[in-house]
Amino acid sequence: MTDPMRQILENKRARRKELAALPVGEKLRLLEQMIADTRAITASLPPKPSHPVQAAPKII
Amino acid sequence: MEKIFALIKQMEADGVIGRYAIGGAVGSIFWLEPITTKDIDVFVALPTTPGGTLLTLGPIYEYLLARGFAPRGQFIIIEGWAVEFVPPGTPLVEEALAEAVERDVNGVATRVFTAEHLAAICLQVGRAKDHDRVSRFVEQGALDAEKFETILRRHYLLEKWHEFQRWYPEP
Repeated sequence: MTDPMRQILENKRARRKELAALPVGEKLRLLEQMIADTRAITASLPPKPSHPVQAAPKII
Repeated sequence: MEKIFALIKQMEADGVIGRYAIGGAVGSIFWLEPITTKDIDVFVALPTTPGGTLLTLGPIYEYLLARGFAPRGQFIIIEGWAVEFVPPGTPLVEEALAEAVERDVNGVATRVFTAEHLAAICLQVGRAKDHDRVSRFVEQGALDAEKFETILRRHYLLEKWHEFQRWYPEP
């Protein structure tokens, strides 16, 4: 493991510790916010593929 | 979520449920950083059917449906949350329920499993996400080591704990 990778892990641990130390009410608010953000994610559907036979040029 | 805690407390006061405690991911949040979850697990001592020994969720459903809450599968939707009422299925969970502690959430009192019981339950269930949670309890220093090992010994989980320690070395 490289030093930058170790640093990332260390930062992540420190952040988790920080969050764990928050009052319970605030942690539950954060959870509700995470869920609301997840629900707000939307995606558009890709266009339907055209039918291969119908789309083929007609040969007379 | 405080409204849900208040409602559950009222259910206990009204005798619809016996002793209750919050477990699962939401219970863990009392001791750890926020963990994403879709539901709230409420462990409850259930009343038995009249004249029988069969545990029943009937009175819980009747009580909540009469107040306008809707069922969805094994859950009841309260304030947008899927809430599941779970009777204790193992001696470990029974003990966790008996020894759950009171906590205050913005002025609303509720009861939650101790960190040691939550970690022991995760170890017993043993899925990848449960092991991940055990490692978080360890990392946060949320566990009283002596109390935790006593619980593990009492519920024959020491072997699982040693195995866990081999796979998840201390960070």
